[in-house]
Amino acid sequence: MDIDKPEDVPKANGAAESAALAPATSVEDKLKSVVALVEKSVKAKDTRLLIGRLLRQTASVRKQLTASNVKCFLQQMLPAELESRTFLCSHVEQAAASGMDADEATTSAQCEVSAVIPEVEFYAYLIVLIFLCDTNQYQLARSVADHAVTRLAQFNRRTLDVIAARIYFYYGLSYEQSADLSSIRSKLLALHRTAVLRHDAIGQETLMNLLLRNYLHYNLYDQAEKFRSKAQKADQFRSGQQYCRYLYYLGRIRTIQLEYTEAKDCLQQALRRAPSIAHGFRITVSKWLILVRLLLGEIPDRQEFAQPGMSAALQPYFELTQSVKAGDTLAFKQVTERFSSVFLADRTHNLITRLHQNVIRIGLRRMNLAYSRISLAEIAAKLHLVSAEDAEYIVAKAIRDGGIDAVIDHEGGFMASRERVDVYSTAEPQAAFHARIAFCLDLHNEAIKAMRFEPDAHRRKAESSEARQERLAAEQELAKALEEDDGEDF
Amino acid sequence: MPAVSSAAGLLALLDEPSDDLKQHALSHLNKVVHDYWFQISGSIGSVEALYEDDDFAHRELAALVASKVFYHLGELDDALTYALGAGSLFDVEDQSEYVTTLVARCLDQYFEKRVRQSEGRGEESETVIDSRLTAIVERMLDKCLSAGQYDQAIGVALEGRRLDKLEEVILRAPAGEERTRVLKYALRVCQQLIVSREFRQQVLRLVIRLYESVPSPDWLDICQCLMFLDDAPEVARILNKLLQGGEEEELLAYQIGFDLVENELQSFLGEVAARLEQQQQIAAPEAVDAAPEAAAMDTDAPAGAAAAAGGGGGPLAARVAKLRDILSGKTPIALYLDFLYRHNHADLQVLKNIKGAVDARVSVCHSATIAANALMHAGSTVDTFLRTNLEWLARATNWAKFSATASLGVIHRGHLAQGRALMAPYLPRGDAAAAAAAAAGGGGGGTSYSEGGALYALGLIYANHGQDIRQFLLESLRGTSNEVTQHGACLGLGLAALGTDDEEALEDIKNVLYSDSAVAGEAAGISLGLLCCGSGGERVAAEALAYAHDTQHEKIIRGVALGLALMQYGREEAAEALIEQMTRDADPIIRYGGMYVIGMAYRGTDNNGAVQKLLSFAVSDVSDDVRRAAVLCLGFVLMNVPHQCPRIVALLAESFNPHVRYGAAMAVGLACGGTGLKEALALLEPMMSDPTDYVRQGALIAIALVLIQQPESRVAPFRKRLDKFITEKHEEVMCKMGAIIAAGILDGGGRNTTIGLRSRSGYFRRTSVVGLAVFTQYWYWYPLLYFLSLAFQPSVLIALNSDLKMPKAAFTCNCKPSIFAYPPPLTAELKETKSKVPTAVLSTTAKAAERQRKKAAEKEKAAAGADKMETDEAGAAGGAKKPEAEPSSYTLENPARVPPGQARFVVLPTSGRWLPVKRESPVGILVMRDTQPGEPQELVTAQGDGAAAAAATAPAAAATAPAAAAPAAGDMDDEPPPPAPFTYQP
Repeated sequence: MDIDKPEDVPKANGAAESAALAPATSVEDKLKSVVALVEKSVKAKDTRLLIGRLLRQTASVRKQLTASNVKCFLQQMLPAELESRTFLCSHVEQAAASGMDADEATTSAQCEVSAVIPEVEFYAYLIVLIFLCDTNQYQLARSVADHAVTRLAQFNRRTLDVIAARIYFYYGLSYEQSADLSSIRSKLLALHRTAVLRHDAIGQETLMNLLLRNYLHYNLYDQAEKFRSKAQKADQFRSGQQYCRYLYYLGRIRTIQLEYTEAKDCLQQALRRAPSIAHGFRITVSKWLILVRLLLGEIPDRQEFAQPGMSAALQPYFELTQSVKAGDTLAFKQVTERFSSVFLADRTHNLITRLHQNVIRIGLRRMNLAYSRISLAEIAAKLHLVSAEDAEYIVAKAIRDGGIDAVIDHEGGFMASRERVDVYSTAEPQAAFHARIAFCLDLHNEAIKAMRFEPDAHRRKAESSEARQERLAAEQELAKALEEDDGEDF
Repeated sequence: MPAVSSAAGLLALLDEPSDDLKQHALSHLNKVVHDYWFQISGSIGSVEALYEDDDFAHRELAALVASKVFYHLGELDDALTYALGAGSLFDVEDQSEYVTTLVARCLDQYFEKRVRQSEGRGEESETVIDSRLTAIVERMLDKCLSAGQYDQAIGVALEGRRLDKLEEVILRAPAGEERTRVLKYALRVCQQLIVSREFRQQVLRLVIRLYESVPSPDWLDICQCLMFLDDAPEVARILNKLLQGGEEEELLAYQIGFDLVENELQSFLGEVAARLEQQQQIAAPEAVDAAPEAAAMDTDAPAGAAAAAGGGGGPLAARVAKLRDILSGKTPIALYLDFLYRHNHADLQVLKNIKGAVDARVSVCHSATIAANALMHAGSTVDTFLRTNLEWLARATNWAKFSATASLGVIHRGHLAQGRALMAPYLPRGDAAAAAAAAAGGGGGGTSYSEGGALYALGLIYANHGQDIRQFLLESLRGTSNEVTQHGACLGLGLAALGTDDEEALEDIKNVLYSDSAVAGEAAGISLGLLCCGSGGERVAAEALAYAHDTQHEKIIRGVALGLALMQYGREEAAEALIEQMTRDADPIIRYGGMYVIGMAYRGTDNNGAVQKLLSFAVSDVSDDVRRAAVLCLGFVLMNVPHQCPRIVALLAESFNPHVRYGAAMAVGLACGGTGLKEALALLEPMMSDPTDYVRQGALIAIALVLIQQPESRVAPFRKRLDKFITEKHEEVMCKMGAIIAAGILDGGGRNTTIGLRSRSGYFRRTSVVGLAVFTQYWYWYPLLYFLSLAFQPSVLIALNSDLKMPKAAFTCNCKPSIFAYPPPLTAELKETKSKVPTAVLSTTAKAAERQRKKAAEKEKAAAGADKMETDEAGAAGGAKKPEAEPSSYTLENPARVPPGQARFVVLPTSGRWLPVKRESPVGILVMRDTQPGEPQELVTAQGDGAAAAAATAPAAAATAPAAAAPAAGDMDDEPPPPAPFTYQP
């Protein structure tokens, strides 16, 4: 279940950033410029705009990180006497030794500064973590993350929040990859508590998602839901990415709780909010969404399976959908068996078991439409049920739920469908239209809420005094001219 | 890793009947609660039930678990309640996040409840404080004390309103230096941070009591505080004690005197002086029993002190006399007057330029120019400009004449000795003045306008030091039934007897008020306020407010409303009832006054409640006037935190309503007066190009208030803008007036005064604040502009010896001389370069284009001319700019001009002949100790303070023949020539 959503950055943006950084070609230079940005943002006490940019820039160099340039960066940026520097360097060296890229002669550039601000230090931690996770050295990453989290506890600076949140993320990731998630649950809860007390919104969001993920990993849906509902949350998520993840987890919880409508809303939102580059995430969400929609009795469009880059991954679900659509229990069984390993890996097989009922229901419905009357034994045969009695119960239930419009003749042993008066009268389009409108309005409202303005943006437009003087003078002149015109007219 | 993966099992145990099982469950839950609180929160009911079950043995454990769960749920108040219930299990010493958070919450709750308790708000049940809460707070306090963190402990004691604890804290501080420091800290904190006035006074009393027990207390601080508590006898006692001491202490007494005078509380100072004499008389017989002079004093009790002062009845008597002169304001005012005259740097060319640019037929601008002149020369006694422009001056008629006459009062402000003689030609011909007026008045006696103006001027001259003139003003008021004269007399009397609660004057002014004449009534209303300033005016307030409801005249209502505001000056909560009553009134003018009441009552307290009230009126009242006043009064409330004011009014400054914008501009001007704050200027500068004329006016005046006495490099661009406003043909009259006044403020008091809201010891000067408040009324009544002069405070450093004369002394200033130098005088031709025609961009109509073509040639000519001039100027500037390295420090001669920004560069001498008695700040009047007493002292002028000396001898002559006074006093070079009276009657 690896949905490691790669660094949540729209590609276009990253490209723009790297284009802007074009002259600084080497990775170290880029990292240095990022560090300068960190220092600037700390100075300006800005935790939003600049730090956002900083993470984007980091993402743009991410692909080029190697052991040597990470080490070089550490040596240049962190003062020699700093404890974390030796610690980080040794880890990077270990990674280099076990990894494939041979460590070419390390540059001996030394750091000139004697002290760095904590933000830079933790940024170095983050870089090392990213590097280790990208090269799949999760054991090393674990120890670095442990170290970083312990050290983070010594600081209480709001300017650290964003970087700290990223570190928490890699902390969770490294433990998940070494299959030891449950061991950090308590630590995460404590961190979450601290984040709430310190009004660290971004840390709070990240940690809540990590905890939800932690619970869901062990199928502790009940605890996850209890934690989610009891934990203090801000009205609005500060980070869109975290919100997106949160919606995904919430969708999963709701699905398990049989609240499909709500689950569908959540998953749909999550899918729409996910950046296009977050491929794995989109695929996973799509899978869940397809299943939820099937459970709701809806049949997803064919094109939803044909999205670029996803068709292969969604193939089993496509076939599943086809069998559901046909109401063909046999085909359904075959598909389930054929792809059972995939479904198990996706951890969706329990939902697929639930789906069996839906297949039967749909099959029944098709029969209801096709036959004005059909014997129960026939139904049982068509739906591959054990006996006609079984079929009778199922039909009875379907009639009671309003799924089909028919009567059972118990004596005759058949089901008689009622004639539909007008096949075309339905509120479907209206409902669909309503759903669209509601969604659009919602989107609009949220877009407005999410808009942020620079504090003094409107002032820049204000006329400069010279401009005003000029305009006034021009107006005066014009007024005079008009007066003269009037005079001439008379 | 937790032993269990869910708390469900433990929770199930809670419902078991056996207490053992429950206890087992609870103790385990207590361990895992941090991991499973969300699960436990579902069954919090059963945990709570266990706590409430009196039979259950482990109730406290249940409470602890419940507390932790609530803590995680973010319900800190509930968590605290249960934590208190947990008794000893809740360990305050623990360093965990849970405990620290709850202890912080505990302190908050305690403070809140204590405040509610001490202010008697809320129900009885609410105000009972849990003894366990108190125990925790006291434990924290003890912890602070044992760790030696006295400052924190004081903070806790003050926040918790625990006088007993405060005393304990101070007494537990180690005696000696540390205790003195702690006391100082307590003093500062209680004056700056305690919101409730009543509690502040209690704390002050306590701190002073403790302070006096310290071996070498800071008498300066103590006397300031006692002044706050209005404890004149105690101050007199201290001063008396000091006077009887050695030379050092004598000097200290003088210094205290000067510091007290700065706060300008006339009635308080009067009382101190009176007490001083009384004590002197009692002490005299015992102290110098043997001396024959003492016997004389003893027999002749009432005249004794005077005799001692005049005849040198022992050194002590002389000292008392000196101190009395200080307290009565005679000495300091004379010193300031002398300084302002000596250092007058007002630039007549600026005025000439204004006069040239302004059309004298527009009376508003004409009056404004006269006002600007008055402000520029405020207190300097230099009236050259008026003298040289008598004909031009004569254009002022009616009320403009009233203003023009009053402007003389501003110019001669503080000329206590000669003031009346100076104004004699214009004064109403009463019995005494008749002869003088006849002698001077060649061109016909004064009309009622000039009479009224002259009385007002007298008030300005004697503002806050009016014992000598009071009687005359009273008689003038009684002797006239002309409303213009009454108007002037009321204002004059109010100013002279500021804050004295003078019974007799009150009666007379009330009579004027009840005569129901609009013009006189308005002044009477304000005057009532001035008389009862700060006392609340219990007797008159209700009466006046009732009358305001009865009368038909808006002017009277406004006058009374403002008067009520002045009465409430600095009374904070005590004014709450009146605020409530006035702000809920149906009459917008009364509500308008209500805003001023809030502003005055909470001046300089940045009280949250007051700010909130004003903000809410600023956006919700239906009347523009009320909204404007509400925003403007924010300036008064925020005076102590100038840097915050721009931020708070920033949004209002962008309001759609021009009145609110104007108010915002003025608020910033008032709160940040004389500070030159960057934020303030950033807010105000764009407002100079506001589309509404009066907003521009407000912005200009506000900027001038902010920039007064700032380094010239910062002011120069603004001066240029002002020039543009004044010379611009199409500029509206309102803005021009604003620009002219602004120019006047900028050069206030001959470039030697600043807006002194606070005395040098950091307390608010009542006169200044009141002056500014009435000044803002210029919106309705231009003559009130002159109240601004009350806020002008000479920015000066004067060193005095024990005879209160200025010795020759020098101070080092560690900055480049050019930074705080006087701006260079304007040259005449500079003005002409301004006549460059601005490039006009016209509409696209063919006609306009044609006109432009026609004009092109003409314009080219003008442009060429301007260019040439500009190059000339540049050349001249280049020539002047000799690249000579400026020294990084220089010496200032006594008396020296020290603008507010410069004070931190000035170093008081630590060695040398003259050493200051107090070291805090190098501004104001400093009494110096002579380290070489034997040697002859070199004084700044032979006569000491020339102006005062001359003035002292002159009045007798001047009263009878004022015209002769000028030549008589004029022969001495270094004295201000007492100006010859002149008239400008048409």
